[in-house]
Amino acid sequence: MIKLIEKIEGEAKLHFSFKNEKIDFVDIEFTSTRNIEKILQGKPAADALVINPRVCGICGHAHLIATVQALEECYDNLKISNKAKIIRELTLNFELIQNHFKWFYLTMLPLFGEKQQVLKATYPSQLMAKAIALFGGQYPHTSYAIVGGVVCEIKEMELIKLQHYIDETIKFFEENVVVSESESFLVCDNIEKVLERNGDLPNILRVIIKNGWMHQGKSHDRFIAFGENSYFNKGKSLKTRVSNTLCIEDVKETPSSTSYAKSVSYKEKHYEAGPLARAMINKIPLIKDAHRRYGDSILSRILARVCEISQLLNHSKKLIEMLDLSEPSYIEPSLDISKLSGSGYSAVEAARGTLIHKVEIENGLIKNYEIITPTQWNLSGGTKEKLGVSQKAMIGLGDIKTAELVFKTFDVCSVCTTH
Amino acid sequence: MIEKREALAKMFSAKGSKINTNRGAEYYDSLMQTMNKRLAELEQTPAAGKVSITNVLEAEGLDRRDFMKWASAACAALMLPSNFTPLIAKAAELMNRVPVIWIELQDCAGNSEAILRSDAPTIDELILETISLEFNETLMAAAGHAAEEHLEEAMHTFKGKYLCVVEGAIPLAMDGLYGTIGAKAETFKDHLLRVAKDSAAVVAVGTCATFGGVPAASPNPTGAVGVQDIVKGKPIINIPACPANPANITGTILHYVLTGQIPELDHLNRPKFAFGYRIHDNCERRAHFDAGEFVEEWGDKGAQNNFCLYKMGCKGPMTFNNCSIVRYNSGTNWPIGAGHGCIGCSEPQFWDKYAQERPMADTHFKAPTGGVEKTVDEFGLGLLTAAGIGIGIHAIASVIAGKKEGDE
Repeated sequence: MIKLIEKIEGEAKLHFSFKNEKIDFVDIEFTSTRNIEKILQGKPAADALVINPRVCGICGHAHLIATVQALEECYDNLKISNKAKIIRELTLNFELIQNHFKWFYLTMLPLFGEKQQVLKATYPSQLMAKAIALFGGQYPHTSYAIVGGVVCEIKEMELIKLQHYIDETIKFFEENVVVSESESFLVCDNIEKVLERNGDLPNILRVIIKNGWMHQGKSHDRFIAFGENSYFNKGKSLKTRVSNTLCIEDVKETPSSTSYAKSVSYKEKHYEAGPLARAMINKIPLIKDAHRRYGDSILSRILARVCEISQLLNHSKKLIEMLDLSEPSYIEPSLDISKLSGSGYSAVEAARGTLIHKVEIENGLIKNYEIITPTQWNLSGGTKEKLGVSQKAMIGLGDIKTAELVFKTFDVCSVCTTH
Repeated sequence: MIEKREALAKMFSAKGSKINTNRGAEYYDSLMQTMNKRLAELEQTPAAGKVSITNVLEAEGLDRRDFMKWASAACAALMLPSNFTPLIAKAAELMNRVPVIWIELQDCAGNSEAILRSDAPTIDELILETISLEFNETLMAAAGHAAEEHLEEAMHTFKGKYLCVVEGAIPLAMDGLYGTIGAKAETFKDHLLRVAKDSAAVVAVGTCATFGGVPAASPNPTGAVGVQDIVKGKPIINIPACPANPANITGTILHYVLTGQIPELDHLNRPKFAFGYRIHDNCERRAHFDAGEFVEEWGDKGAQNNFCLYKMGCKGPMTFNNCSIVRYNSGTNWPIGAGHGCIGCSEPQFWDKYAQERPMADTHFKAPTGGVEKTVDEFGLGLLTAAGIGIGIHAIASVIAGKKEGDE
């Protein structure tokens, strides 16, 4: 039985096999590619800053930040000002926030019998896109980050606008998503309290519980996040045991014979990446509570992603307070990039999870470039013996409709996955 | 010196791919008659979509005034005199008479993303709810097989009437197997040909659909090409840029609603109302170029004072687009406003030629006039150079554009 998962941001094909009326195996296939890694080979290193954001229209900003960090890693002693670091982190936060809103209102809601809420998706994501545009010039596809810092020279005026965009987004969240004061919602550690609230998120959670779906979509209960910044921690979580030592050399990409997406594993095991993974590693009380009750099910996954909006908005406000506009935006690297030889990698947390870029440069030209995207962690296929994350989450389900729902809680982004 | 100045004056009065914003009363009178006739005809046809703009406005608590405000802005964007505003408003009300089928091929979904956050909420509604976007894969909630049926149905019902909007390039290498769609694994090429066949016109949105875009960057591993390389015998409108500016997409569709025709195009099939401007000519930093004030290094005094980015690799002098006027994200900002030079994303082959951070003078490709850029420093007067480049571009563009106009 072949099921085409609809074209939310590209296409994926799922081939289901059933045994005793339960899903026994799912083969996941991605059917298009652009071969961006090949395009990068032989190009001047700085060109990657223009090409890579265009790997993905959905999380292109994460690709820009990953690119600039990977290139910077090729230097021995490159300095970045705090200001530049904070600005990059802010714009990345905004991308995550707008993406979470769109996923929730455009992709999730219709799966629970609700109308797709286009305006609720676009209003807050427009605000966040404007916030990115203040620094980056446009969204999607900005190239404002450069090796050594950022090009924008922001002033107080931009910060006032930025505060306004953030406050408006917080207001939208408090009035629509979870009707509650952000201060109390951020410290909430009991899912029962969320369920008592009004709002689009509690509504969906109640539908899940009412229909008895709260235990569906469980996978390996193994989580991973490589991206590290002032909010996210790097680490892995096995059930609830968190360890913060990870080694990038243990990440392995395996090509597939049937799909353009390469499978990704860490120490030969598949791990879930994304908001739920980040919340488990960051030990967010509310998500830990949901996980204690319902495990790594669709309920925990949806809750984690929507709650991250609130956390990132709050953290972004703190970051703005830390900004010192008198610091330089850019510190010139010791060596011009056109003369650089070396290799480096970077990991950033994109909306759907860990994004890894690896680069090798020889005399200023890209010798090799490797991109591992979040969707590869979650949606790329494994074998029957070693199931991929979303495969494992769908096996044992009785019907395709539920399987589709489970699959989509991981969020499909095929353009990015096959790049 | 005097010669150069005369040349500069000529540049600003040259007939080229630039848009003529004042064509005289006769022209506008006859245009208005055409539009009135077209709108009256459209009014007689049944609505393709279920939602009307009036309902949408009411539901969102927007009044007639907000709507007319938008209409007058759209009127200006289309380079029409202000007495066309009521017609624009009427056209928006009739937008649901024109079905749009939006297909996504080899792309990054960035243009759908951009349109999802096009301008003020009013325009969002216009685009998303009243023009009947019959088949947009990012917006559609229907699942795979149902979506395919829906597409077939839309194509059949609106045969010969719908606008086929295409996002993404078409990979031709390996018999097109780098990109397939649907349960039957139809190649992108076949998919495009099938949907384009019964359309009224094809609108290629974004640089991938127009010129192949990033996927076609050297060595073009998947053999990616643009829509105009595949679709023949149909009017094609190219709206390049990466991402395409939503204002230009709306503008093109509005124009089609208003006239039933495609807008006036330049030699690259781009609507002149949007691509009749050179970034450089309308750039907010242009005065610094003329004064010879440049950013010499990222983060320097020049960067802090918004000086010209030409020496940092800005391709504004080579690029035709209206971003310096319309800007992005509801007019919030644009790349040069953020201190990054233009990368020429609305020009063919920008990924290999223009996108490089290096100043044009240091790249291997030559400006249409030859390597005049080296002189910026020597003269210390950007003015002279500007004339040189400007005329070069316009001379070439106007030859081709002139021919095109003559052909029509």
